[in-house]
Amino acid sequence: MPVLIPILQLFAWTVILLVVMRGTPGFRRYVTIGAGIGFALGVAGVLVISRLLPGDLHLRIIRTALGVSFFFLWAVAVAAIYRSNVRDIPLFRGKRLTDSPLPAFACTIMTGVIAGSIIACRLPGFDGAAVQILAFAPLALTGALLAFAALAGEKALPTSITVTPSALLLTVVALLLFCSSSILRLDLFSPLSMKVMKGIHDFVHQFMESVLIPDHIFIRPEIWGYIGILFGKEVGFWGGMVIWFTPAILIALAIHFEPLPSVAHIRQGAQRRRLLADAIRTRRSRLVIPAVAVVALAAAAYQSSFPSVEYWDPKPLAVTATPAGDILIPKKGEVDLWDGKLHKYLYKQGGKEVRFFVLMTPDGKLTVDLDACAICKPDGYGQTEGTVICYYCKTLIPLDTVGKPGGCNPVPVPFTEREDGVHIEAITLYNSWTRTVQATTRIKENGK
Amino acid sequence: MKRLFRAIWTIVSSRVLIPVVMGFFLVVYIGIAFFSDETLILLMALTRRSFLLGTVLALLPLNCASRIFVEADRFRKRRQAMTDAVSGLQPSLYDETVDLMTCSEFADLEGRLVTAGYRTKRSGNLLAAWRGISLSPSRIIFLAAMFCLFSGILVSLMSRTVYRLPVIEGETFQAPTGNGGIVERIIFGKSSGPILARDLVIEVAESGSAGGLDRFGVYPPSRFRGLFVYPRYLGIALFYRFSAPDMPGVYEKHDVLPLYPPGKEAATEISGSPYRITLRLEKPDDGSDPYITGRMSFFFKLMKGTDVLYSGSLARGGEFARNGYRLEFPDCRRMVITDFIGDYGVLLIWAASLLFLVAVSTWMPIRLFCSRREMLFRSEDDMIRACSRSEGGVRRHAGVFHEALDLLETKKNAKQSKDGGVSAK
Repeated sequence: MPVLIPILQLFAWTVILLVVMRGTPGFRRYVTIGAGIGFALGVAGVLVISRLLPGDLHLRIIRTALGVSFFFLWAVAVAAIYRSNVRDIPLFRGKRLTDSPLPAFACTIMTGVIAGSIIACRLPGFDGAAVQILAFAPLALTGALLAFAALAGEKALPTSITVTPSALLLTVVALLLFCSSSILRLDLFSPLSMKVMKGIHDFVHQFMESVLIPDHIFIRPEIWGYIGILFGKEVGFWGGMVIWFTPAILIALAIHFEPLPSVAHIRQGAQRRRLLADAIRTRRSRLVIPAVAVVALAAAAYQSSFPSVEYWDPKPLAVTATPAGDILIPKKGEVDLWDGKLHKYLYKQGGKEVRFFVLMTPDGKLTVDLDACAICKPDGYGQTEGTVICYYCKTLIPLDTVGKPGGCNPVPVPFTEREDGVHIEAITLYNSWTRTVQATTRIKENGK
Repeated sequence: MKRLFRAIWTIVSSRVLIPVVMGFFLVVYIGIAFFSDETLILLMALTRRSFLLGTVLALLPLNCASRIFVEADRFRKRRQAMTDAVSGLQPSLYDETVDLMTCSEFADLEGRLVTAGYRTKRSGNLLAAWRGISLSPSRIIFLAAMFCLFSGILVSLMSRTVYRLPVIEGETFQAPTGNGGIVERIIFGKSSGPILARDLVIEVAESGSAGGLDRFGVYPPSRFRGLFVYPRYLGIALFYRFSAPDMPGVYEKHDVLPLYPPGKEAATEISGSPYRITLRLEKPDDGSDPYITGRMSFFFKLMKGTDVLYSGSLARGGEFARNGYRLEFPDCRRMVITDFIGDYGVLLIWAASLLFLVAVSTWMPIRLFCSRREMLFRSEDDMIRACSRSEGGVRRHAGVFHEALDLLETKKNAKQSKDGGVSAK
């Protein structure tokens, strides 16, 4: 699977090029050159930024670019559906600009930069600069060569397949999202689902307060159970799916509802029918490309929901408290607390189990946290690629922020670091777990 | 000035305005989401404080109001055109408009249209044909619902005031806008309704009159002196006495404690001492609800610092005494933590829900089963202007319209050849 992913990404890049070339028939040569340059620039950009600036700045830049592209796609999709049923909306007057090769060239460079940088992120990080360049240069060359290969390949596509500008944008963004979905920290779908879950929770709560709906003590439990569905993870997932696919559906609908040509002035019925039939056939063939985009978006959502990444998630070690209520985690013993890995522990009291973990953050400090956050059900955390991931909502928490409270971060627990190890007060740990689990269970299962 | 007003009107009544404004707020929402987990609450607070955001939000109801006007105007104009009350046909009101240089005899055409299922009307030089019911009234109701909804949100966001106060049995009904009479009873019981499991009624003696009662229920919330009475949580108003060997005298306190449902714990501090009492309303063995029956018994823990000194059960009027410690519960009453809410936006939001219901329940069957299709033929000098529009079944209607035009054209050709034949003779 890890070998297959870069091949799929390069395949997606080729499809992007084919669609862009079919969508800009007059400027194929400009598009090819722009794509080649853009891809090479993207690969080089990742190499330079990741070497010169510490941390994950390059990932953040790419993720922002993807987010902005998706947002722009939404705006274009809404405009397209409006334009399909309201004829008198002048949305764009810059015809002279679109007739020149400059916008196509610039947009293709941008697409190339994003695609190149995403695919470059799959390359392993080597220590030596020379080795890094050896790994990155063939990729840049391959991407650029694929641009020229697509120029020849596009001519083999059936002439009946045509692309509207909105469908072109849709396919490009969908394929870029597909490329990024295999990289955890570039994936947009999981964070989107999490934000939707939180957004729906807040909205329902505010709505109930706004229209003065009574609190749960007055409402029938079965009715409250239905309301509680709105607070679950599934609603976040399906809400995310709606937001994910809506632009594609809107653009497909806009094509489907495109007004047919006016034939009222033609007095031969056969001619009228032929004209209308041609228009309907063209309209249908334009739906092929959005269908490709829907497949790409579905694949991206699937990769995001079932990532092929293995998480570091050790079995929790049982610990006990001293009669004075002190839990000791030795620094050196069965596990090495300083190895930068997540170490989980289990403390039992009065029939309840408290899960927590100890971790050394990138700045060399130890942190003790509950294996739960203040928002989600306590499904726990796993560690991967410089982050810990909340299993419930799939939010990635950078390691340097673990130990800080808020959001989906693990709830920090006070502790004392001494010579012999980490000391935690059992009562504090127990109360913190009970408080957190009670609050999140109430939110997720019983609504308000 | 006129051009400026026209430009403003074009913007305000544009169908693009709502998606643009909503897109703007979505962008702000996404922006806030980068920095805060309480995105919606922060966005509401920002909109409340910012004149700019408030003005942008106000564009939504304004746009709905203008759209109602535009929609009603178009509906009126189309109706007038059908009755020949206006001169000329405006192409902007129709899907298709065609000018034919042809004769103005509609007799055959009218018969053809009637056969195709259209109702017809001839008046002067106009032939109107139509079938189905117009969706315009439903659309106007829908726009009115949108207007109410957005106005409600705007009013609610900008002017909502909330005061939280306890309402206690036997005490004066206190509200921020003035006190009412004495709270006679708080009745909490099972409800037989499909939504509510429990009913709560606060009975308040009308102040200044003899024997009347004001009743405040759960839903829909009642109003008291301009404010909605919105019961939130139940609790107990407890009067207790406490004395300890190291305290100078007896400590007495009236406290309101959020102790409902039974099992929920709350604490009360003995001020100026290290003592604290935690309390829990006990659930009776027979499974009844003590808040409903009024038979209340409390499990208490008397604490000094973090040490538990004594624990036990005490009913209303009961007393616990040991080693110089004495705890009494002379009185306890039902209490409701109540929000007094000043918000006229709520009424608009309720009205919007009703209007949405009416709009959808009328729009759907009309659109599915009897959508409006109409065509008009008006002879002007030597030509006929033909207009057509449909709100459903577009292609079938267009087929009938085009055949009608073909018929007029055929008649013209036949007449021309007849005239030609006569002149040739």
